[in-house]
Amino acid sequence: MSAASSYSAADITVLTGLEPVRKRPHMYIGSTDDQGLHHLIWEIVDNSIDEVMNGHASFVEVELQADGHTIKVTDNGRGIPVDVHPESGKPALELILTTLHAGGKFEGSNYTFSGGLHGVGASVVNALATELVAEVKRDGVLHRQVYHKGIPEGPLTTLGEARGTGTSITFSPDPEIFPNIEFNSKVILEVLEAKSYLHRCKVVFKDRKEDVIHRLDPGDGLEGYLRKLLADVPKDPIFDQIFTFAKDEGFKMEVALQWVEASGESIRSYVNGIETQLGGTHDQGLKTALVRAVRTYMDISGTSTKGLKISADDIRDGVRAVLSVYVADPQFKGQTKDRLNNPEVTSAVSGAVAPALEQFLLTNPSVSDGIVGRIITGAKRRAAAEAATALVSRKSVSKRLNLPGKLADCSSNKAELSEIFIVEGDSAGGSAKQARDRHYQAILPLRGKVLNTEQASMKKIGANREISDLVSALGCGVGKNLDLSKLRYGRVVILTDADSDGHHIAGLLLTFFFRYMRDLLEAGHVYLGRPPLYRVRYGKKTEWAWNEEQRDAILTQVKGNTKAEITRFKGLGEMTPKQLKETTLDPESRTLFRVTVADFDLADRAVKDCFGKDSRLRYQLVMERSAEADEVDV
Amino acid sequence: MAKGKKSEPGELIGEVVDVPLHSITRNRFLNYAVSVITSRALPDVRDGLKPVQRRILYAMYKDLKLTPDKKTLKCAKIVGQVLGNYHPHGDSAVYEALVRMAQPWSLRYPLIEGQGNFGSIDGDGAAAYRYTEAKLQKVAVPFLEEITKDTVEFRSNFDDSDKEPTVLPSRIPQLLVNGCTGIAVGVATNIPPHNLNEVVEAAVHLVDNPQATTAELLTKIKGPDFPTGGQLLESRETLAEIYENGQGRIRCRGEYELEEGKRSERHVVVTSIPYMVNKSSLVEAIGAIIMEKKIPHLLDVRDESTDKIRIVLVLKKDADPETVMAYLYKHTPLRSSFHVNMTCLVPDQSPLGVRPDRLSLAEALTHFNEFRYEVTVRRLKHELRLIKERLHILEGFKILFDDLDTALDIIRNSDGRADAAAKIMDRFPLDEKQTDAILDLRLYRLGRPDVQSVLDELEDKTRKKDELEMLLDSPTRLWGVVKDEMLEMAQAHGDTRRTKVLVRGAEEYSYDEQSLIVDEDATVLISRDGWIRRVGSVSDLSKARVRPGDELQYAVRGSTLCPILFFSNYGICYTCLVNDIVATTGYGDPIHGTFAFKDGEKIIACFILDERVLPGPITAEGEEEPEIQAVSLTSDGKGFRFSLQSYMESSTKNGRKFARPAGGAQVVGVKLCKPNTQLLASGTRFGRGALCKLEEVNFLSGAGKGVTVIKLGADDRLVGFEPLEEESPTSEGLKLIRDNGGTEIVVHPRYVKITGRAGKGQTLLKRGLLNAVEPPLQVVGPPDEAAEEGSGAASEETAAAADQGSASTEADYEGEQEEKVDVE
Repeated sequence: MSAASSYSAADITVLTGLEPVRKRPHMYIGSTDDQGLHHLIWEIVDNSIDEVMNGHASFVEVELQADGHTIKVTDNGRGIPVDVHPESGKPALELILTTLHAGGKFEGSNYTFSGGLHGVGASVVNALATELVAEVKRDGVLHRQVYHKGIPEGPLTTLGEARGTGTSITFSPDPEIFPNIEFNSKVILEVLEAKSYLHRCKVVFKDRKEDVIHRLDPGDGLEGYLRKLLADVPKDPIFDQIFTFAKDEGFKMEVALQWVEASGESIRSYVNGIETQLGGTHDQGLKTALVRAVRTYMDISGTSTKGLKISADDIRDGVRAVLSVYVADPQFKGQTKDRLNNPEVTSAVSGAVAPALEQFLLTNPSVSDGIVGRIITGAKRRAAAEAATALVSRKSVSKRLNLPGKLADCSSNKAELSEIFIVEGDSAGGSAKQARDRHYQAILPLRGKVLNTEQASMKKIGANREISDLVSALGCGVGKNLDLSKLRYGRVVILTDADSDGHHIAGLLLTFFFRYMRDLLEAGHVYLGRPPLYRVRYGKKTEWAWNEEQRDAILTQVKGNTKAEITRFKGLGEMTPKQLKETTLDPESRTLFRVTVADFDLADRAVKDCFGKDSRLRYQLVMERSAEADEVDV
Repeated sequence: MAKGKKSEPGELIGEVVDVPLHSITRNRFLNYAVSVITSRALPDVRDGLKPVQRRILYAMYKDLKLTPDKKTLKCAKIVGQVLGNYHPHGDSAVYEALVRMAQPWSLRYPLIEGQGNFGSIDGDGAAAYRYTEAKLQKVAVPFLEEITKDTVEFRSNFDDSDKEPTVLPSRIPQLLVNGCTGIAVGVATNIPPHNLNEVVEAAVHLVDNPQATTAELLTKIKGPDFPTGGQLLESRETLAEIYENGQGRIRCRGEYELEEGKRSERHVVVTSIPYMVNKSSLVEAIGAIIMEKKIPHLLDVRDESTDKIRIVLVLKKDADPETVMAYLYKHTPLRSSFHVNMTCLVPDQSPLGVRPDRLSLAEALTHFNEFRYEVTVRRLKHELRLIKERLHILEGFKILFDDLDTALDIIRNSDGRADAAAKIMDRFPLDEKQTDAILDLRLYRLGRPDVQSVLDELEDKTRKKDELEMLLDSPTRLWGVVKDEMLEMAQAHGDTRRTKVLVRGAEEYSYDEQSLIVDEDATVLISRDGWIRRVGSVSDLSKARVRPGDELQYAVRGSTLCPILFFSNYGICYTCLVNDIVATTGYGDPIHGTFAFKDGEKIIACFILDERVLPGPITAEGEEEPEIQAVSLTSDGKGFRFSLQSYMESSTKNGRKFARPAGGAQVVGVKLCKPNTQLLASGTRFGRGALCKLEEVNFLSGAGKGVTVIKLGADDRLVGFEPLEEESPTSEGLKLIRDNGGTEIVVHPRYVKITGRAGKGQTLLKRGLLNAVEPPLQVVGPPDEAAEEGSGAASEETAAAADQGSASTEADYEGEQEEKVDVE
């Protein structure tokens, strides 16, 4: 109690007068709306809590009177000094309540930490109140002084003997300053609750307006607060156990932390007992710490993520935490001092929390494995979502700007009249582009073998260039997002070379359409082009054959000594554009195969047999049905 | 589209044929699969070549004439020729196949001789084909030289502009000799290479004994013969099974020799490596083992290879090379498996002419023999046909020579060639071909010597014709030719085996993990939070690094070869070797990662079982109790004695149960009982203490709950215990202390009566709560000579004293007035 005795008028520093507060209230309390209005209460309450925090008081009582706009804040602290300040000749109480920047908090020796507005608090409230009554119990005497709009009604009076010590401030906001002076019970209760848990300080809120009395007992501090916050909005905690960490020596801080099933992260943070809505360097430190601790744990426990990259966001997803730090000289950013800006706090918090959390995870493997499981599931979900977005972001385009560069689009945008040819390789793409009717025929060259979508993961499919080009060119989306009304072409024609690799690619593309765009097949939009197999030249005539019978029929027409030259086509690139047009692209002379899903089960079976993961099925099929192959390479 | 049509572009669709997805997908897939199987990835049983290899050899021989006696030619030209005439696929596929056929470490008998950079066994690629040159090797000629003798079928190439052979008339059993690797669709192949002499011997044996068993054939073919040498591990029985089924695993390992190194070193030189192992990756793998100090005896690895493999392993002088090699065989590709799958294309009657099949050794050889027979017959028939044609001409000449003057007259009086021919055919019994040949004769050939040579040739050819006809009439003699020709090949191209094979298979080296450990003393440090590490020596425990907020709890010392036992509060003992504990100057590893600790589990005792510090044996025969045992008590006041013997072997991550604390109780500690300990002191939270005879506490042979040592009041729990020597003045007793400090309370025969077990004990303290005094932290175990003297013990004691002092000033609000009960 030695500290209390030296807290006297000599400790009060005078900085400036009160007049500016009424002129520009927003500079002192942020605004004159409801937030600013309630700010008045916190200023007074914080002063009382400061007494509790520093061990001079054991409780704070807040009373909202029945009129709804009068607040009384009482504590059993040391009582504001009432002796006469040597410089001004006024009692310290009057000085504190009538002078800006007057207060014990500037001197450091009286208060270790303080969250109030550095002493502007009480005087600002006084300035903005129609009436403020200050009562101080100190040295066995009850003192009282009344103010109106910051001006004392009369000198400090003594009302006789009193037991104990303490301060009580009663005030009503000035309607000239505040458009609404009605306090909100709910807001007051919520904030008092937080303050109570944070400072492990008993707070009584007597709500005469609603006629209830809330006795706020902080119990187990931040842990209790986190439990309460989680109970208010049920979020399925991964584990009932909450990680808590408190540190008193040197850098003072306290944290309670838990992972919940729900997504998003939420850290409620406080500096010197004041909530920092926008976080700041202390939040940052906590985030760093929990990412580092979880990574270390995963490393030590040998958690395999099989190529899955776990980002810091993945680790923090689902975190619910309450963090309270005490900083001797807090610096804030933002108008309402909502963001802590002291850079040294980050490393102080992370340096303290990371090893502790790491240890918690190590010694509670069942909890940590649950957490890690949740993180990996979340990361997988995110990766899958990203993959899907990668497809979706391209597929949702209707603008040509986002179409793949390789696409040679047609000029018509009437979907029902236009067609797209998916050709194999750039060498075929070149002649196809020249051979097409640019009004309604588009060409999309794909390079190399298409991904086997029957075996690949959704993520791999999303990352595949050829598939995503195809999806974006078609414009109708993929999978669940398939919307045929957005299909950009009425006919999707697969036009691959007539060799074994071409057949393979055609099969792979059909597999993709079947698994991921089945509606497209069912609506009859998918076709296979049919380039000829043989060219027969005799004399000056050139004819095409699509099979051996046709070829032989042509050969019978060859008369006498004329020698027929037969060429077997293999790649589309072997044909001149003119030939390609004549044989394959021009509707006058071409033939298309329209692919139909006549029987889902049969189709499903065929796709599984040919391209599925079970190689035995493939072996069986090849062994039993190899005779069905009709175009085999030599 | 025709011009002038009213319809908008795109309205006309053209002819459309509906096809169901399942049939078109299957059709497209089968076209691909069958193509890959029959004309890409699998070799033909007859010539052992994949299509691309066959085409390269054929193009080099027939089109580019790159026989071994010619100069090499740019590979770009070869690749171009193959692509342009026969192989309508990617250029890189062709070049890669070509390069492989030239690599002496890939093929047992390389078919192509390369000029320039053709890659290396370290996995380096060949130079681009514009730099390199190639020609055929001598051993490739027997594949091709009969190709012009109508020995094999030809078919049109891809654009019908040329013909190509469907198979090469190889005289060498290439499929087995060079082996083959390929992955098709649904099927794959992996055939190891073999020794030419052995394969020919087996093939010849099979000609004579068509029913020969695999075991019989294996007396000829000892097993695979890899170009990189090595040593096979499989026994003849295993190999017989593999060659019988055409599949199985053959393990092969590299060989080594010992060399003396410099003073303190010993060299092991690896002289061969398994087939298809990348040498540089192997050296990297060995390097990694050295870096991680997995084998402390292995100091360095140097790759000194030139054209011969020479990987030098530098060992400590006293190291056992077999142990080191055993480790390397187990943990690096220095021992590798070859998964045999003798799948290849076998001729059949299907439209494709071939089908994939997995063959036994005998089947593969039989196919080759039959093919050789067929080729030989076709070649001889071809020769016979040529002889017959020549004979026909010669017979014409003979007729002419018999009446030469008449013939000359006719020619002289004729009106040109056609007239002469007609008139000659009128006059003589000659046909058109013979007449043509006569008219083509030069005049000098009508001289006597030439006439005679024609007559001689006629005789000679007639004899040859008869011989060939006789030969073709006798399959036995034909088979003789087949055999002779094969043996000729072996004679010309065969060489000695490179891969070593033993009848029983090579002996597998085994090694004892312990033999890799360097025997030395180490101190294991364990922190309160469970971080463990091993250091060589520690001079000042108070300066040992711990994580912020943590502190050292145990420091035990012993040999790296000794087991270290960690006992947990949940009744589980975890054991490993001291050597297994991470040696680091950092914080070490958390024990929760080394062993599967559960929530809230922590170490409550830790020992290194080092014989030098144990006061007696901890092992005993049969049911006997060992001289040195442990005693363990749980928080519910129960306890038992047990043998440490069962916990000496390294445990799994899950450890072994040594106690089964019941109903939420936890193990408080595990302490060693020295031979002369007779008493057991125990103390409780609520201030009671008891002394009983240790022998009354049962000895358990398995994990159990034990018997009641001290009966506890409600909510009380055991906080400490200590085995004591009876009445010994040196024995210190069980020290207890109040939560808020003060004087230590000691449970000792001097102050506490000795009672039977399961008593309630004596009141030590009326009010207040007790805890066991933590003994001062010091290294337990053999002396640490490396650590400096003087700095350790003294300073620690002073530190401990200071700690106690501060503790007593802190506690000052409650229980100040409490009286200490006189325990005497």
